[in-house]
Amino acid sequence: MKRTVPLMIVMVGGILMMVQYFIPHQYSQAVFDSYVSWAPIIAAFALILGVGSLTRVHAHKIRRKAENWQYSWAVLIPLYAMPVLAHIWPVSLSGGMDEPSIFHFLFMHIQVPIQATMFSMLAFYIASAAFRAFRAKSALATVLLLAAVIVMLGQVPIGDLIAKWFPQIGLWILRYPNLAAKRAIMLGVGFGILATNLKIIFGVERNWLGGAGK
Amino acid sequence: MNIWERMLNIDRRWIFLSIGVVSIIPFLTKIGLPVSTTEEVEDIFTYIDSLGKENAIFISFDFDPGTQAENMPMGVAVMRHAFHNHVPVFLTAYTPLGHGMAGGALDYVTRPSTPGYYTSVDFDEWADIRNAGITDRDELEAAWEEAGNVLPDDSHGWVFEGRDFVYLGYAPLFHLVILGMTSSIETQYPSDAHDNPLSEMPILREHKSLREVDLAVTTSGSSACTAWVIYGREKIGLPVAFGVTAVSATDYYPYIQSGQIIGQMGGLRGAAEYEVLLQQNGITETTDKAFTGMDVQSADHLLIIFFIIMGNIAYFMGGFHRKKQLKGGR
Repeated sequence: MKRTVPLMIVMVGGILMMVQYFIPHQYSQAVFDSYVSWAPIIAAFALILGVGSLTRVHAHKIRRKAENWQYSWAVLIPLYAMPVLAHIWPVSLSGGMDEPSIFHFLFMHIQVPIQATMFSMLAFYIASAAFRAFRAKSALATVLLLAAVIVMLGQVPIGDLIAKWFPQIGLWILRYPNLAAKRAIMLGVGFGILATNLKIIFGVERNWLGGAGK
Repeated sequence: MNIWERMLNIDRRWIFLSIGVVSIIPFLTKIGLPVSTTEEVEDIFTYIDSLGKENAIFISFDFDPGTQAENMPMGVAVMRHAFHNHVPVFLTAYTPLGHGMAGGALDYVTRPSTPGYYTSVDFDEWADIRNAGITDRDELEAAWEEAGNVLPDDSHGWVFEGRDFVYLGYAPLFHLVILGMTSSIETQYPSDAHDNPLSEMPILREHKSLREVDLAVTTSGSSACTAWVIYGREKIGLPVAFGVTAVSATDYYPYIQSGQIIGQMGGLRGAAEYEVLLQQNGITETTDKAFTGMDVQSADHLLIIFFIIMGNIAYFMGGFHRKKQLKGGR
């Protein structure tokens, strides 16, 4: 029963949504509208489950004083503080409602700089990796290296100044060889997704059930 | 250890320092290297330029703060273009953090300290005019100014909340929200991010669903942009344009060739191109942050290419290509 019911729900739901997509009829539209209303509600329960699970794991670490347990506070405090500040205490630092709230302040002055810093550090690591690992060890590696240099120079104004053909060749690489390779990969991935979905809908692939019903 | 081996084992902190220095100097000197435009960006510009007050576009801030340096100028440039042509704009976000990004972009474009800003009129402020039945864009502006409101000298124009723009922000499971908006925008967003009811907004009365919208521009730092193609373009034929980070720009060229998107702004370069087009067409007096950032990117790319060349010279001159393994550097 634990396996049959979920499998039936997935099969009926999957086939229904697949067929619905190709039928431009009001009944079909009603099914679709109903699904669109249901899905966020189900997702909201998943959110509760996720937050609950995260809290349990980190609370357990803090109680047991496990390795690096202090960082668990860094997870739990913002996890609960931000929603509280957003919904229960939506006032500014000076106490007024017209100015940006504390939530907004924390978002703009902590969240944004932290994420921007993490991403901008990539430039430093790319430079280091370029120096240490980008070698013309073989013919194919040399082609890759030359393409990278041309595209990099073609993407910036200095490339225009060095030679007018840098941007043109760079764009040609992006528009033709790159496009052909990407399309091949995307088609492969697309067919893979289709096959996997059909296997899930028809119950051939059952790993998503976990150990239920065993 | 010979000179080549010493070179290859250089402390990586020197590399980090050089990148840091090379990134900072162009910000201080402001070289202003010219940026040429590409067909991919020109197509978006031309398309938006052909729209007017009877049309509407979505600008979706589908990125997190990590990629805001690249994505934010794209959203800002398109928003400025739309405001200039009085094209109504819906602002949405794929992620909770994108919600803040959309608000930040709107705030930047309407902030008096920003050169070439637009003066925003809150939804409540023009309630009397709305209640008097005036909702046409030109009539609304005339009535607003007749009521004694004066446009500041340095402002580019008025933008009325609920008429020229609506800040919808984030809604959970955004791909389903796109699907839902193909039937009705209001069912997905009963109120906007400022708690104004959408049912009272003229922009919503004229554009009830995505079928009555002329373009969705998604500025994205991930594959979130493809949701607009899958659920908007393929289901109802909604025209879509991408503004994506440089690292992911290569992924989306197939969408341009297949005609599924009308164009693409790739990375900071794409945003800078759009800023140049705005300036060349007299929509803004100056370029903005993306254009300034291109000098930094030029310097960084040159330095990285220099590192690649030096790394290869040391590798081959030192004869390491004949050896199996190099000693690891710090």
